[in-house]
Amino acid sequence: MDCNEIERLLDAYVDGELELTRQLDMEAHLAACLTCKKAAEAANNFRFSVRMNTRFYKAPPGLKTTIRAALRKESGSQLGWVSRFWRPLACTAGILVLGLSFAWAWIADAHHKDRELIAEAISDHTRSLLANHLLDITSSDQHTVKPWVTGKLDYTPPVADLADVGYKLLGGRIDLLENRPVAAIVYQYQGHFINVFVWPAASHAIDFDVQSQQGYSLCGWNKASLNYLIISELSPADMEKFEDQLRDRTE
Amino acid sequence: MCLPIYARGEARSHFLRIKLVYSEKSMRQGQADRLRAQDRRRFEEIFLPYLDAAFNLARWIVQHDQDARDVVQDAYVRAFKGFHRFRGENPRAWFLTITRNTAYNWLKRYEAEEKLVRYDEAKHADIILMKEPDDALVSEERKERLQKVLERLPLEFREVIVLYELEGLSYKEVAAMLGIPIGTVMSRLSRARQRLREGSHYGT
Repeated sequence: MDCNEIERLLDAYVDGELELTRQLDMEAHLAACLTCKKAAEAANNFRFSVRMNTRFYKAPPGLKTTIRAALRKESGSQLGWVSRFWRPLACTAGILVLGLSFAWAWIADAHHKDRELIAEAISDHTRSLLANHLLDITSSDQHTVKPWVTGKLDYTPPVADLADVGYKLLGGRIDLLENRPVAAIVYQYQGHFINVFVWPAASHAIDFDVQSQQGYSLCGWNKASLNYLIISELSPADMEKFEDQLRDRTE
Repeated sequence: MCLPIYARGEARSHFLRIKLVYSEKSMRQGQADRLRAQDRRRFEEIFLPYLDAAFNLARWIVQHDQDARDVVQDAYVRAFKGFHRFRGENPRAWFLTITRNTAYNWLKRYEAEEKLVRYDEAKHADIILMKEPDDALVSEERKERLQKVLERLPLEFREVIVLYELEGLSYKEVAAMLGIPIGTVMSRLSRARQRLREGSHYGT
């Protein structure tokens, strides 16, 4: 290799992007040629300087939320079902048939298992709001709540600290869902209680967007083979925010 | 799903048949929606971690905060629409490619406006005013200088620097994203650095 060739490959060399044989040739040359060696050092320093001295623009706060809202809209969450359903159907079918099928589809829509589960969750939630039924352990410290709950169950539910985003951890209790004891982690937001049910998704992994039922907002998802079902009297929009925060904070 | 078995097989009246056809269609639609709730969550889990990377890339291409926001949001929606084409390999490169394409489309669309509104100011003037570096050059000053020179590099050079140095992609990934051979990435990056060096009087 002559010095011209070296100069041409210098950048790739300092980037460690040369194939091995060339890399070795290069090193041999640099060991012998002081001029090229200096050039390599300068290239390396400059590269470092560029990395250190140019800005990495982090996404502004709030952009994540905006994007999530856009994706929800795009995925046709049940909050926005009217606009998604109307357009294609109105073009293709008579209004009468459409109306009938619509009502029918709406009733038949929710997955049977999901519906049973939701009914159960609603009754659990309602019962939890009765006097002295909400909490078996009262603590705003996730490191107190988590071991307590874990000690009563055969799995470890994650307990997220969301105080910095306005959701106060109140504590937890053991409740029943799908005929098994499950963890219920309780948060408070603007005077409303939020029940977060977490249990292993043995047979039935749930996944549905925020919906309103009997005056409650609820939604469910599955992550790392755990089912999460959250329910409260918050508005559906507030519930979506809570969902996003909680999903961000649970691994 | 919840249809009784007998009703699926033989519709017993014309009316019922019509009703069945449409309700099954609607139910499939409902099913699709529910699957998409699941898709959305999976999509978010895979791609939201690259939000900063995407914003940085978009910001460097369009050179404007609000525009970069719009580009990134648009890129996420596009990527979600094309989620079924994602094969599970290298999500970062996949998503950054979409972000780049979106940013380019944006530039094309707003090129005229860009030239009129944003480019005619003193933005280009102060490059001449930049002094030769002192020995005791503080890093703040160097930072500013490099930053400014990079901002003014032509897009094709600017983006290889950003992709390689800031986003940490490999030559191979950059080549795939730009649709050019690796050798071209190498020479373009080399020339970009050369320009950057000259512009910032680095090491002179």
